[in-house]
Amino acid sequence: MGALDNDTALEVREGVDRETIETVQAMAGKYKYGWETDIEMEFAPKGLNEDIVRLISEKNGEPDWMLEWRLAAYRRWVKMEEPRWAMLNYPEIDYQDQYYYAKPKSMTKKPKSLDEVDPKLLATYEKLGIPLKEQMLLAGVEGSDEPRKVAVDAVFDSVSVGTTFKEELKKAGVIFCSISEAVRDYPELVKKYLGSVVPQSDNFFATLNSAVFSDGSFVYVPEGVRCPMELSTYFRINAENTGQFERTLIIADKGAYVSYLEGCTAPKRDTNQLHAAVVEIVILDDAEVKYSTVQNWYPGDEEGRGGIYNFVTKRADCRGPRSKVMWTQVETGSAITWKYPSCILRGDDSQGEFYSIAIANNAQQADTGTKMVHLGKRTKSRIVSKGISAGRAQNTYRGLVSMHPKATDSRNYTQCDSLLIGDRCGAHTVPYIEVKNNSSRVEHEATTSKVDDDQLFYCRSRGMDEEEAVALVVNGFCKEVLQALPMEFAMEAQSLVAISLEGSVG
Amino acid sequence: MLEINNLHVKLEEDDKVILKGVNLTVEAGKVHAIMGPNGSGKSTLSYVLAGRDGYSVTDGSATLDGAELLEMEPEERAAAGLFLAFQYPVEIPGVGNMTFLRTAVNAQRKARGEDELSAGEFLKIVREKAKALKIDAEMMKRPVNVGFSGGEKKRNEILQMAMLEPKMCILDETDSGLDVDAMKLVADGVNALRDAGRAFLVITHYQRLLDHIRPDVVHIMADGRIVKTGGPELALEVENNGYADILAEVM
Amino acid sequence: MALAAQKSDALEARIARLDRPTAGWTAKARADALARLSSMGLPGKRDEYWRYTDPAGLNLAEAAAAALFDAQGEAPPFDGIDRLKLVFVDGVFDPAASDDPALAGVEISLLSKTGGADLHWAQGLYGTLEAAGQSPVARPFAAMNTAFATEGVMIRATGRAAKPVSLIYLHKSETSDAILHHCIKVESGAELTLLENGPAAARFSKVMEVDVADGGRFHHVRTQGRDHERRAITHIFARLGRESLFKSFTLTANGRLTRNECVIDLTGADAVAHVAGAAVGDGDFHHDDTVFVTHGAERCESRQVFKKVLKNGATGVFQGKILVRPGAQKTDGYQISQSLLLDEDSQFLAKPELEIYADDVKCSHGSTSGAIDETALFYLRSRGVPESTAKSLLVLAFLAEALAEIEDEALAEDIRSRLEGWLSRHER
Repeated sequence: MGALDNDTALEVREGVDRETIETVQAMAGKYKYGWETDIEMEFAPKGLNEDIVRLISEKNGEPDWMLEWRLAAYRRWVKMEEPRWAMLNYPEIDYQDQYYYAKPKSMTKKPKSLDEVDPKLLATYEKLGIPLKEQMLLAGVEGSDEPRKVAVDAVFDSVSVGTTFKEELKKAGVIFCSISEAVRDYPELVKKYLGSVVPQSDNFFATLNSAVFSDGSFVYVPEGVRCPMELSTYFRINAENTGQFERTLIIADKGAYVSYLEGCTAPKRDTNQLHAAVVEIVILDDAEVKYSTVQNWYPGDEEGRGGIYNFVTKRADCRGPRSKVMWTQVETGSAITWKYPSCILRGDDSQGEFYSIAIANNAQQADTGTKMVHLGKRTKSRIVSKGISAGRAQNTYRGLVSMHPKATDSRNYTQCDSLLIGDRCGAHTVPYIEVKNNSSRVEHEATTSKVDDDQLFYCRSRGMDEEEAVALVVNGFCKEVLQALPMEFAMEAQSLVAISLEGSVG
Repeated sequence: MLEINNLHVKLEEDDKVILKGVNLTVEAGKVHAIMGPNGSGKSTLSYVLAGRDGYSVTDGSATLDGAELLEMEPEERAAAGLFLAFQYPVEIPGVGNMTFLRTAVNAQRKARGEDELSAGEFLKIVREKAKALKIDAEMMKRPVNVGFSGGEKKRNEILQMAMLEPKMCILDETDSGLDVDAMKLVADGVNALRDAGRAFLVITHYQRLLDHIRPDVVHIMADGRIVKTGGPELALEVENNGYADILAEVM
Repeated sequence: MALAAQKSDALEARIARLDRPTAGWTAKARADALARLSSMGLPGKRDEYWRYTDPAGLNLAEAAAAALFDAQGEAPPFDGIDRLKLVFVDGVFDPAASDDPALAGVEISLLSKTGGADLHWAQGLYGTLEAAGQSPVARPFAAMNTAFATEGVMIRATGRAAKPVSLIYLHKSETSDAILHHCIKVESGAELTLLENGPAAARFSKVMEVDVADGGRFHHVRTQGRDHERRAITHIFARLGRESLFKSFTLTANGRLTRNECVIDLTGADAVAHVAGAAVGDGDFHHDDTVFVTHGAERCESRQVFKKVLKNGATGVFQGKILVRPGAQKTDGYQISQSLLLDEDSQFLAKPELEIYADDVKCSHGSTSGAIDETALFYLRSRGVPESTAKSLLVLAFLAEALAEIEDEALAEDIRSRLEGWLSRHER
């Protein structure tokens, strides 16, 4: 116990600093975003049929080609079966008992600028901590004295409320708007790229999304442009029994760079809500995209009542040589998570990275991971996945690394670590490794273990209670992924890790 | 013994030219040192002489006792008497150090038309030579270089050199990563092998190894060429003034 | 759910000419197995468990012909080992070529000889572990084997077996289709080593049920025969009692199709199970190791060590799983699967899984695939070792971790020398 005498040795794991400890200690409350905005809504009738698809298209003021595209998807979807291969256990979803379109009445007439947006909506985002004013952000992170700008697209149920910094971005040539605006204003770009990464027929949930997506974000960064600020979309599900089906399309033209952040929350409700999003990213020669997500949908209560069913298809297509994508995700919310952000490494020398923290507590179930499909020569990928299970939760990493015969001299490294807190939860690892050429090297490592008792004791002997100690140790376990997040998100993610583990011990 | 003429070498992968006309003659019984700043091409020279893949020789020649080295397979060069002590000795999990050494010794004997050593003879010789280098039996049992410290790896290289009895020894940055005691041990191992029939080419960035292995000739290499040649005093000049002065003078 | 008509037709055709005894002590187990099989049907390429291995050759009503292999005078495996030999020719026991099955500490009987009797000690074992191993993943070929096996050995070790029991499977007919089912019971405190070698038949189905009681020890070493065109589907179902030990090693060289399934259930605390394999394939070779280890008790240890060396279009498959049940605390589970691809046409397909429901566990798996380490190769060559020797050395080093799982030195040496032989014959 000599170490206990050394008061300066508060480093539990390498990289866990005092700041983290303070953040963790300062944390209070459980799910912070469980409140509801009382606002008059306009709904489409419950259920799904061709008329609803037509109505969504009409409400968005879409051209015929878009409607036809949706209808084709719908017709395909009705013949598809919901996939059940994931290690997820949930009652059958009644797709006819959902609203597929809901928007605040005040949004019926599209506000011309943020000043015209319903104050109730603005207040909602303010309460969520999302800046809808075009203000400088001072992220409370060391070394970030530079004021940073973050442009935000705020999506409330089915519609985009507004997008900030549009003009400033436009000057740089960057298009950042809601996808419904893009369909109207940039039809050629949308036509060219929509469905080119995640085809309509891709999977049950993506096909559903293709039929009924209401809003989402659109980003186009032209050739050679480094996007002057971080872009972000903030998704809020508010209305009851309403599915959210956003669709995001990001295009980085040759040599472009953009970092994109995504956040999500929803009110506490006893019923489950459906969320089936699609994110498509196209990356051309020498371009780079960073996509970070902090997913904090309502996870349901301790007994597993309520919470979001989150079925998401995210894929990046590294089409050009030397293109690069980095997915970073912190998955703490949702009752059910079904999500595999993937990289198609088509261009020679392209690179894909996937950093993930998935926390499942109470009755949450997460089945998440990635696919790295190596098609081009000398392509590289890296997967770092940290899964934490607590309570009665089940947490599964599922991933595919595929080296095609032509993807010579390619490389993959995968590290999957699982941490178990308590003896009633489960942690699972299901990797698929397919190597079809011999000049590529694939390495996969996975470990599963419990939270280290010595570390916990050490923290508690320094005055932390058990939950704080667990949060601290878990933050250390996740450090490698947290470091991959933009600093705006890193702090939020750290505290989220702690909140998500509330009630996991004792 | 070793004769290098106008050697031009580029990297196969990106066509980068590394050696731009190296000329060097090392006579039997002599110790030559090559010094030079990082990136001057010193390690490339040693790899090209040993026959590593990834380099393409665009011009020039290198002969060992008149035999053209560059056309031989790596193992043929070894059998011809060339030995490279690696800057970064390779770890080979699963292959025991003793097995490795015996396979190498017998392969070379076979290539020279000599009988293989019996297990008993081999063991006797290894033990004796390992002892001088403070390599214990435990280290001989472990897989080649796996889990060895930096010093252990370099001592292991010298042990291989002692066992294989080459005539032309190239030491590539053998001093890197060694403390003073380890360097002394390695240098003693090398000095014990010095004789009239054997030559050494000692590649190093610093002068300090040359305090222990006294060279007869010192070459300065820069930008893929040997730019200056002199006696041991040249190494001291580098030690005192750095490379900048010498380079400024010759370039 | 009703099986698709197509699937059930295929099954009917597959089993049409097989004979199922309806009397004797195995009758009930066979009938139950047939019922299981009928509800499962034959596997298809779309089944997740057959994702990487096409079962077509195993599903055919008749076995495809497989040319006999000429060993060219090479000594058979385990030649120098003192053992009790039991010889099967194309799945039929050959008493003339076999030793007298009398061995201190061991009872040996044949399925065909005892089948008519009403009672046998293996009655509670035959088909039992196979049936238990059908969940959570269906293994139709194992059920088919239980229903239709024509021969097998029933071995009960009651003490320390004086020498290994060696099952030798000779292949003499080009179209033979053999189904063998062995039951092995290692009683409390007893110890048995079982050796197997040979291709057995053009198509070979084998199930081995191994019940190791508390403190029992079972060692298994097999080589699968080098007939280039043979197809084999084998299953081991093992149940391990408290403080028992199970160690199995398989060497596979050549063979058109080999699928070795190993299903291990650690039911008693402090049990140890190691299953390992080395596969070397050149050309039209498909080798699949499918392993499922269940930790159902505290403080058990399991290791899965599989290495494959592949060239000229050979395919290696590994599907391995460690399942830790709730309450199986202090589990130590380890799994490694690695392939060495010697040329660009070969491939490695792996699905190494962990499913864990207890928190105080140490489980890990690793999987790698790649070419021979060029740096190590150069290092060896720079020391004068010829390229082919250097390659062999590196391949053997790659396989060493799997070979290390064979406890007996003499057996390990026998396997190592067979590998060396294979490598020298298959130099490019």
